[in-house]
Amino acid sequence: MSKGVLVDITKCIGCGSCTVACKMWNKLEYDQNVSSIGETAKLNDKNWTVVTRTSAQDSKGQAVWRFAKQQCMHCLEPACASACFSRALQRNADGAVEYYPDLCVGCRYCMIACPFDVPKYEWSKAAPLITKCQLCSTRVAKGEAPACVAVCPTGVMKFGDRQELLQEAHQLIRREDLYLKTVYGEKEVGGTCWLYISDIPFDQLGFKSGLGSVALPSYTHSFLKNVPIIALGWGVLLTGMSFYARRRNELAKARQERLAGKNGEGDADADDFDEEA
Amino acid sequence: MVGAGAVVAGCASEPAGGKGWMPNQYNVAANWPVQVKGRVPIDSSNPAIDRDDTKCILCGQCLEVCKNVVSVYGYYELPIQNDITCIHCGQCTMWCPTGAITERNEIKKVQAALASADQHVIVQTAPAIRVALGEEFNLPPGSLVQGQQVTALKKAGFDAVFDTSWSADLTIMEEASELIKRLTTGKALPHFTSCCPGWVKFAEYFYADLQPHLSSCKSPQQMLGAVAKSYYAKEKGIAPEQIFSVAVMPCTAKKFECQRPEMNAAGILRGNPAIRDVDVVLTTRELANLLKSNGIDLSRLVDTPYDSVLGESTGAGVIFGATGGVTEAAVRTAYYLVTRQDPPAALLQWENVRGLKGVKEASVELPGVGTVKVAVCHGLRDARVVLEKVRKQQSDWHFIEFMACPGGCIGGGGQPRTSLPPSDEVRKARMANLYKLDGTAVKRASYQNKEVMDLYQKFLHAPLSEESESLLHTHYVDRSHQLKPKEKV
Repeated sequence: MSKGVLVDITKCIGCGSCTVACKMWNKLEYDQNVSSIGETAKLNDKNWTVVTRTSAQDSKGQAVWRFAKQQCMHCLEPACASACFSRALQRNADGAVEYYPDLCVGCRYCMIACPFDVPKYEWSKAAPLITKCQLCSTRVAKGEAPACVAVCPTGVMKFGDRQELLQEAHQLIRREDLYLKTVYGEKEVGGTCWLYISDIPFDQLGFKSGLGSVALPSYTHSFLKNVPIIALGWGVLLTGMSFYARRRNELAKARQERLAGKNGEGDADADDFDEEA
Repeated sequence: MVGAGAVVAGCASEPAGGKGWMPNQYNVAANWPVQVKGRVPIDSSNPAIDRDDTKCILCGQCLEVCKNVVSVYGYYELPIQNDITCIHCGQCTMWCPTGAITERNEIKKVQAALASADQHVIVQTAPAIRVALGEEFNLPPGSLVQGQQVTALKKAGFDAVFDTSWSADLTIMEEASELIKRLTTGKALPHFTSCCPGWVKFAEYFYADLQPHLSSCKSPQQMLGAVAKSYYAKEKGIAPEQIFSVAVMPCTAKKFECQRPEMNAAGILRGNPAIRDVDVVLTTRELANLLKSNGIDLSRLVDTPYDSVLGESTGAGVIFGATGGVTEAAVRTAYYLVTRQDPPAALLQWENVRGLKGVKEASVELPGVGTVKVAVCHGLRDARVVLEKVRKQQSDWHFIEFMACPGGCIGGGGQPRTSLPPSDEVRKARMANLYKLDGTAVKRASYQNKEVMDLYQKFLHAPLSEESESLLHTHYVDRSHQLKPKEKV
C-alpha cells in the first residue's frame, strides 16, 4: 500500500520548521543565496523542500498570505524512474521514489522527465549527482513520519495510507465551505503520494496546472513496450538475412569456381608462358 | 565490474539522505503525538527579532513561551490573513537554547553614527538596564551599575547620556493627569497603561474594541525621543537633523515601536516628517556587545551621573522597570495632583502591587476622588483574564497596568540571558535592586523631578496642554482585521 502525505494549505503559518527538519535529517547545507522559506524560496540541490509565500485574494476578496510547501510529489508512476536507464531512481513499496546515488550515471534524463521540475543537479560539484526528497524512506520504514511532517506545529501535514488520506481529504472539502473542491495530487500525472487541499486556487500558489491525469510513463509505454519484440525480431530477421546472404555468396562462389574449372587450361598455359619469358 | 553489475541488477547499498539527526521527541512512530514541536513563525521583515536557521534545532521552546506566556501563538484562527502575528516582545529570544532567535542586530548603525563627525549622538537607557547590564560583565544578577553604564557610554563615544527614568517621570505627569481626568469624568475607565509596546500591539490585535481605554501617552522612550529632538535641541542650539537618537532598552518590541510611522512628532514640529524621534533601539545585550567590542569592562569603571537636561530621575521613574512600578509611580503623583500634598508613606512602599504574582489587585483612597481600584498584569496570558472581564463589563477597576513580559521590563526580551529559560530568581534580584534604588532616593515621586518641571515651564506649559498632546501623546491602530482571534483556546 502506498503511503502519502495530506497537506492542508490553510493551516500553514510559514514557520519553516519543515524546511529545517529536512536539512537536519538529511544533513543538507544551507544555501547562502537561495532561501528555503519566503517569496524567493526555490528548490535546489541543497533545498529538498521549500515553503513559498504568495500574496493572494481569498474568496471574499481579502488580501491573504498563503504558504505552499514544495518537495518531490512521489508520483505513483514516476516519470523520472521511467526515464532512468541505470535504475538510480526506484519507487519502493511505501511509495517513496528513492534515489540511489551509486547507480546514477549523471545523465539528467530524470530532470527532463519530471513534470514537477523536482530533481536537481549539484552544479557546483566536480562530480555532481542528482538530489531530491526521499520521503525520509528510512524513517518511514521504521513507521515514523517523514521529518517535515513530524515537526509541523500546526498540523498542516498528515502522514498515512494514501487511500485513507484521500478519503479524508474528500470528506473535509465536502464538509467545509472554506476549501476548493479539488485534491491536488489525486489525479495529476496519474496520482502522487503528496496530496494538497487549499482555499486558494492551486495555480495561484505556484502549483503546475494542466498536467493531465495520465501517468507520463504510460505515454511511452504504449510503444516502448514493443521494444523487446522489435529488438528481438529485428535481430532474428537480420540474422536470418545474414545467413541467407552468406549462403548465397557461398553458392555463387562455388558456381564461379566450377565455371572457372572448365576454362582453366588456357589460363595455366598463359602462366607458364610468362615464366618462360 | 561490481559497479556495472550493480547497475545492471539495479541494486545498490542505500538511498540518498537520512544521514542527519532529529531531536528525540520526533523519533517516534507516526501515530503517536509529539507535544513540544516546531517553532514560531518569524517574518523576514520583522523589525525586532531575527532567526538564524542554521542554529535552529526545532526544540519547540519558542512556541512554548509564545503560547503559554505571551498567548499569541495558538490564539488566532487558521488560515491566517496577510500578516505573521507577532508582538515583538522577544520572549522567544530568552528561551531559545541555541541563540538562533535574537534581536535584529543594529549595532552597526550606532557604530556608524558614533564614527560620523557631524552627528550629535545621544543615548537614553531604560530603568531596567541598570540592574541587568552588569550580568553581561560577570557581576551577580541584579547588580546595580547605573553610574558605571553612564561612564561606559561616554567612553564609547556618545555625546550625551540621558535617563529614560526622566521621561518615565514625564510620562507619569501626563498619565496621572489623564487618569484624574478620566476618574472625574468617568469616561474610558478602566484606564489601561500604554508604555509597553508589546502590550500595545497585543491590544491592537486582540482587543481593538477596548482601544479607548488605552492611555494616549507615548512610552517613556518615545517621549524622551520627541523631547530630545525639540526641547533639548533648542536648549543646546543643535539642529534636530544632526541629532542621532539611540535608546538602550531591555526590550525588542521597542525596535518596532520606534519605527511606527506616527513616531515622528519632533520631525513634524520641525517641518521635516522624515526625522524619527528615536533612530535606533539597542537591547541590553546589544549594548553589552558594543561595549565589549570597544574593550570597555563595565565592572571596572567609576560612576558618572546622567547628563542634564534629560537626566534627572526620581524613585518613581526608576521603578517603571518592574511590574507594578508604573501603577505605584502613577498613584504617587495622582495623589499629589488631587491633594497638592505628598503621598503617605504607605504609597511609597505599596507592597500589594509589587512582586511576581500574575495578576495583582489593590485599592487606594484618593481624597476628593474616592477609592481607586487598580490591577497589575505581567505576562499577557494572565492579562487575558483581566481583559475578558473588562470586555464583559464585569470589572470595577479604574486603572490597569499591562506589561508583556513576566516581571515587567526587568524580565524583558532584550535583557541578558543570565538564566535559561529565564528564572524568577534573576527577576527578583533585578526587581529588588530597583526598589532599593527607589527606597534610597531623595525624590520619590515624579512631580518632584525638577528637570521635568523645567520642561513644562520652558516648553510644554502643562500636562495635557496642546504642546504636550502633540509631542507626548499618540494614537493607535486597529489590527483586528489582520487576524481572527480564537474564540476558545
